[in-house]
Amino acid sequence: MAAYTLHVNNKKLKVEAEADTPLLWVLRDELNLTGTKFGCGKALCGACTVHLNGNPVRSCSMPIAAVRNAKITTIEGVAQGNTLHAVQQAWIDEDVPQCGYCQSGQIMSAVALLSKNSKPTDADIDAAMSGNICRCGTYVRIRKAIHRAAKAMN
Amino acid sequence: MMEKKLNRRNFIKSSAVAGGAFVLSFSMPWGNKLMAEPAKVHEMNAFLKIAKDGTITIMAKNPEIGQGVKTSLPMIIAEELCADWRKINVVQADLDSKYGPQGAGGSTAINRHWKPLRKVGATAREMLLEAAAKKWGIDKKLCYAENGTIKNKKNRKKLSFGELAETAAQVPVPKDPALKPDKDFNLVGSFKTGVDNQNLVQGKVTYGLDAQPKNMVYAMIERSPVFGGTVASYNEAEAKKVKGVLNVIAIKEGSTTQSVAIIAKNTWAAIKARKVLKVKWDTKGNEKHSSDSYDKAFKAAVAKDNKNLRNDGDVDKAFKEANKVLEATYEVPFATHAPMEPMNCTVLVTKDRCEIWAPTQSPGRAASIAKKITGLKAAQIQVHMLRSGGGFGRRSNGDFVKETVYLANELKQPVKLVWTREDDNRFGFYRPASMHKVKAALDKEGRLSAWKIQCAGASVAKFFSPKLAPHRFDIYPDNFPAQFIPNFQMQYTAVDTYMPLWFWRAPGHNTTAFVDQSFLDELAHAAKKDPLKFRLELLGSNNKDYQYKGHGGPTFNNARIRGVLELAAKKAGWGKKMPKGSAQGIAVHFTFGTYTALVADVSVDKEGYVKVHKVVAAVDCGKVVNMSGAKAQIEGGIIDGLSTMMNAEITLKNGAVQQSNFHDYKLLRIKDAPDVEVHFVKSDKDPQGLGEMSLPPLAPAVGNAIFSATGKRVRKLPLKDMKV
Repeated sequence: MAAYTLHVNNKKLKVEAEADTPLLWVLRDELNLTGTKFGCGKALCGACTVHLNGNPVRSCSMPIAAVRNAKITTIEGVAQGNTLHAVQQAWIDEDVPQCGYCQSGQIMSAVALLSKNSKPTDADIDAAMSGNICRCGTYVRIRKAIHRAAKAMN
Repeated sequence: MMEKKLNRRNFIKSSAVAGGAFVLSFSMPWGNKLMAEPAKVHEMNAFLKIAKDGTITIMAKNPEIGQGVKTSLPMIIAEELCADWRKINVVQADLDSKYGPQGAGGSTAINRHWKPLRKVGATAREMLLEAAAKKWGIDKKLCYAENGTIKNKKNRKKLSFGELAETAAQVPVPKDPALKPDKDFNLVGSFKTGVDNQNLVQGKVTYGLDAQPKNMVYAMIERSPVFGGTVASYNEAEAKKVKGVLNVIAIKEGSTTQSVAIIAKNTWAAIKARKVLKVKWDTKGNEKHSSDSYDKAFKAAVAKDNKNLRNDGDVDKAFKEANKVLEATYEVPFATHAPMEPMNCTVLVTKDRCEIWAPTQSPGRAASIAKKITGLKAAQIQVHMLRSGGGFGRRSNGDFVKETVYLANELKQPVKLVWTREDDNRFGFYRPASMHKVKAALDKEGRLSAWKIQCAGASVAKFFSPKLAPHRFDIYPDNFPAQFIPNFQMQYTAVDTYMPLWFWRAPGHNTTAFVDQSFLDELAHAAKKDPLKFRLELLGSNNKDYQYKGHGGPTFNNARIRGVLELAAKKAGWGKKMPKGSAQGIAVHFTFGTYTALVADVSVDKEGYVKVHKVVAAVDCGKVVNMSGAKAQIEGGIIDGLSTMMNAEITLKNGAVQQSNFHDYKLLRIKDAPDVEVHFVKSDKDPQGLGEMSLPPLAPAVGNAIFSATGKRVRKLPLKDMKV
């Protein structure tokens, strides 16, 4: 066991964990941040996507020892206080979620996309979002919601 | 909160409650049918609370697995109540007999709740009207309900539901409250977003896997990779040495150890310990089973005649007299449900109590499993239905609950069982594989004169219960085109396989629609007729109800099938000119009370890669309750249908499932997702379900388009990596 100080959602949090523990399980089991989901454990589905310094990473395959001082943002840290991020609002307005389980990861990937590309085309969306599986098939609405959020942010 | 059942025969009772809240509790005759079993009468007891501030709490009785019932069912109550939707707080109910049967399956929630829940809302509305009339000292007829208030027709005075709640609780309960005419609907048919969305987009919704009762430990289970294997020996001591491991428990049935559980302080420790744990399995010779051998058994079965499930006219004579005879064999593989949230469950068992937190489609099954294992009474068992990360039928099984209750019963502290994705794929209960030999005849005018279908497959019904007819969940003798062809024969052979089987989104239909609607397309082309016109001609121009003994019956209507075909064709521009290598395909299917036609726009490149550009759906489900949720189910079913058509295949080799994770059991990704357009037929008929309806016609619509584009006929699924 080693002690780590993590920068999560603008807070410094102390946690003890084995060095090889994936960030996903530290967030979920130790820090009670269960918004980040477990889907595959092999970086194949994107349900566990969080941001490290603003870049989307699959937390199921990121050992805690590799996180170091990186700033972690999880789905719980996307809204600013009571103000939802434009992507979150667009997800509500387009009524994207069905079961909703993959949507934390989808939103994290979409937020990262829009932070780098304020006017993504459908092809840009396909490229940025194809690491995130939605078993319910909400892709049609995910595309719409990303365009809607882009409009709201511009 | 207190609720009181005063008279079980009546459907509504009320009681005033401390705190000024107005509580209505209902118990009403409740028709419950499981897959078209004769109706058993149950009682329902849903309830509705109105607080002084006007906040209305509606209990969501059924599990939410992504089908949207947590939003649509309360909408039905709120409609008749004339409530302000923005003031409604929907709360997920636990398992409790006062709500009547609770579960998710068979696309039944909307059609079974439509009338009873309207009555729930209407009764409360009438009591609020009565209360207002009393307060104003006027005739009730001079009052009307609107948007969370009761208004006085004469002087435009109004009182809010909150202000009236206390008085309303005292007035007699109306027996037969008037229901709104359709023209007065405000909520039904409107676009309402999911009631959990606000929390969901912030990661604040508790799914099954997020349950974390105090002092909880984590569990993972090592199961025999060869189905039916049991534990011979295992290295308990080594597994226990892994940091964070608390215990290693043998899961037994009688004196036989079935599997081995790791109990740990956290999920990661359990995952690591599983890698260290080495189990020697007694596989009992079950390695001999493989899906290759099933293919041979299916082939042998369809090569000879079996008992007829249906035999109209004289097919043999018709084939002799035919102008043209076509024969083809279609094949569909095993598939797993693969919901995004792997199986899991959390349970606490003490000496006098069992508490279950489960993402389940069948909370009742969870409770009876717990009762059996713990020996506790039903009243001592509490089931919380946590939101499920998908279901598709998988979570109506109770295997994962059984494992968890077993461990909790040993541990006497809360335990969360986590399945990995690999566990989820390898220890599933699968959609059966099947083979269908079809033969049909055309007469001189190119009309269908005979149809013979011989199906052989693994039987869900046989796996589920020996009492059921083996074909029951796999092939439907009344299904179109039966009853439209004078000479029609259907046979089914249940082939024993070693696979655990279960209900998988649109059971049977997910396969039969592919076979029937693809073969109809073959016949249309053979008859040199447009595939749409060929189907319309077959359906006839009258308006008639046809017998449908399966789930979704008792009848279906040919004019409604025509209606969705024509609407889909019109909206998709059927017959439009397409570039070379591109084409449209059409298919239609009746499932569980709803009619769905799809037109797919498809292109195939030189290497044979298929791209589905757009799918247009026309749906007749009667009235639509929630336009957003309804469209979502159709969109989702189309994507699921395409995903399944393109990739879904579970194979068995040496007694074990070969697929493990999303690299070898692929699901469709956004880059391959077509645009989807959904149109509903305007209807005043009672609403029907939508969760399973658009998946069945997807594969034939796309397959038929592929044929038109390339001349290649898709007769075997999946089309690996979208290639023909």
